[in-house]
Amino acid sequence: MPPMIDPALFDQLKTKIEEDTSIRKELDQILDELNQNVSYTQGVLSRIHSTPRSRYTTLLSQVEGGINKEIEMVGRLSEFASQYPYYKYNHKWTRMVQDAISTVILCAWLGGMSTDSKPGEVGRLLKLEDIGQIFNVPVNLKDRDAFHITIEEYLLGLIAVIDDLSRLAVNSVTLGDNAMAVQISGFIKDLHAGFQVLNLKNDVLRKRVDSIKYAVKKVEDVVYDLSLRNLIPQEGQ
Amino acid sequence: MSGFKRDWNGNAKRQDGPKAVPRQVVRNAYTPMFESIRDELDEHHDRRERIVKASRDITALSKKIIFSLQRVRRIESQLPSNIQFEVDSRLAEIAKLLATLAPDIQGINRYRYARSLMCLEEFVEALTFAHYLRTQTLISHADLSPVVEDLTRKGAGAAGSASEDAVMADASDDTAGTATATAEGKPIPPATAPATTELPTISLTHDDYLYGVFDLTGEMMRFATTSTALTGAMAGGGDDKDAEPRTIVHDMHELGTFFEMLPVSSGNKFQWEKKLEVTRQSVQKVERLGYDRIIRGSERPKGWVPDLSAGGDQGGGQSDELE
Repeated sequence: MPPMIDPALFDQLKTKIEEDTSIRKELDQILDELNQNVSYTQGVLSRIHSTPRSRYTTLLSQVEGGINKEIEMVGRLSEFASQYPYYKYNHKWTRMVQDAISTVILCAWLGGMSTDSKPGEVGRLLKLEDIGQIFNVPVNLKDRDAFHITIEEYLLGLIAVIDDLSRLAVNSVTLGDNAMAVQISGFIKDLHAGFQVLNLKNDVLRKRVDSIKYAVKKVEDVVYDLSLRNLIPQEGQ
Repeated sequence: MSGFKRDWNGNAKRQDGPKAVPRQVVRNAYTPMFESIRDELDEHHDRRERIVKASRDITALSKKIIFSLQRVRRIESQLPSNIQFEVDSRLAEIAKLLATLAPDIQGINRYRYARSLMCLEEFVEALTFAHYLRTQTLISHADLSPVVEDLTRKGAGAAGSASEDAVMADASDDTAGTATATAEGKPIPPATAPATTELPTISLTHDDYLYGVFDLTGEMMRFATTSTALTGAMAGGGDDKDAEPRTIVHDMHELGTFFEMLPVSSGNKFQWEKKLEVTRQSVQKVERLGYDRIIRGSERPKGWVPDLSAGGDQGGGQSDELE
C-alpha cells in the first residue's frame, strides 16, 4: 500500500516555500534602500512650502539628485522582480513606487525634470508614459509578466501630489506668490474634473479620489480669500 | 429673481452649463488622458467581475461535490456509482466554468486576481478528497495540476454532447493513474494535443494546493466520524490483508505532521496559523475516534452495524454509545 504522503511531495513544497521566503527577504533589502531614497526626496521636496519661487532652481536640482537615486533603485527592483510573477509580490512595493512617482510628478510640475525636448515649466503634468520613460520601466503592461508601473499607482501618486499642491497654495500666499495659488487652483480643478471621468469601484482608488474634493475646497477657499481682497494678479502682469 | 446667480463681482453668472472660461481649454488637455485611463480601468473591473461570478459558482459546485463524497462510507478504488455520477456531472459543470475563466487569468493576470480565485482552493479540496477516498493517499500538486488543466480544456470543448463522458473518463483516469502523469511531465496527453494545445488553461498555484489540502483535513475528519459511526470500523486498510492495515487515524497524523514540518509560508502567516490550528483540532478529533474504537469496539459484536432503516429497535442503545 502506498504511503499517505509521498516523501517527494513534502520536499517539493518545502523547497517552494523556502524559495518564496528568500525572494521576499531579498525584495525587502531592495525596498529598504528604495524607501530611504524616496523618504529623502520627499523630505527635500517638503522645502517647497518655505521656498520662494525664485529659489526653485537650486531646490529642484537637489530634488532631482534624490530622484536619480530613486530611478536607480527602481531599476534594480525591476530587474529582480521581473523574474517572478508581478502581482505575487507587487503589494510589497506598490506604496513605495506610488511615493516615488509622486516626487517625480511634483518636481516636474514645479518646473523640474526638464529634458531637451520638454523644457521644465511650472504647471507641467507628467503622464503615465512620461513616468515610465523617466524610470525606464514599462507602464500598464499587459502582454507579458514583468515589472512595470500600473495605472493605479500613477493615479494614486497623482492624488498625493494634489494634496501636496493644495498645501502649497496656502504657503505660496504666505510667501507672497499669489499667482502660484491661482495656478494651483486651476490645475487641481482640472484634475478633479478628469478624475470624475473615471468609473470607479469600491476600492482604494475610489477612496483616495473621493478625497480630492477636500483639496479642491482648500484651494478654492484660498482663491476666494485672494479675490475678496483683490489680490489676484491680472493676466499679463 | 430666483434662479439668477451673481458672482462675487456682482456680474450675472451664465446659466447655460458650466463656466465657459479659458480654463475649459485646460481641462480638455487632461480629459483625453483620463478617458483612456477610464477604458483601461473598465476593462480591469469587468474582468474581475466575470472572475468573481465564475469563482462563486465553482465554489458552490465544489461544495456540492464534497457533500456527495461525504455520503461515501468506505475507502475503495471505485466510488459508489450513484455518487460517482453526481461528482461527474458537477465536474462537467465546473469544467465549463473553468474554461470561461481561463482566458481572463492568463500570464500576468493569474496572480492579479488571485484573491478573487478562492474557488480553486475549494476545488482542490474536492479533488483531493475524492482522490483520498479512492486511493487513501494525498495527490501531489504535480499530479493535480494536469487534472485541472485537462478539465479546463474539456470544458472549452464541451459544446459537443459527448464531452461529459469524456470529462468523467479523463478525470478519473488522471487521478487514478498518477504514475503516468508524473512520467510524462509537462507534455499534454497526445490524444487531446492537436485540437486543444492553444486553448488557455488554468495553472494551480502552490498556495491554492496547500490551502486546499488544509481544508481536506476537515473533510477527512468528518468522513472518519460518520464512517466509523455507521460502519463500525475505522476507515482505511483496504481489502488486502496487510499485516497491519493503515487507518484514517494514521493518515490524519501524517497530514498533521506534514503541515507542522512545513516552513510557515511568509506571504500569509496569519492565514497559515489559523488553518494549522483547525487542522490540529481535526487531527485530535480523529485520534479520539481511534481511541474509542479500541476501547469500546471490543464490546461491539463482530459485524454489527446500527440498523438505521428500522428505527429504534434493540440496537438503539449501543448505537448511541458508539456515535
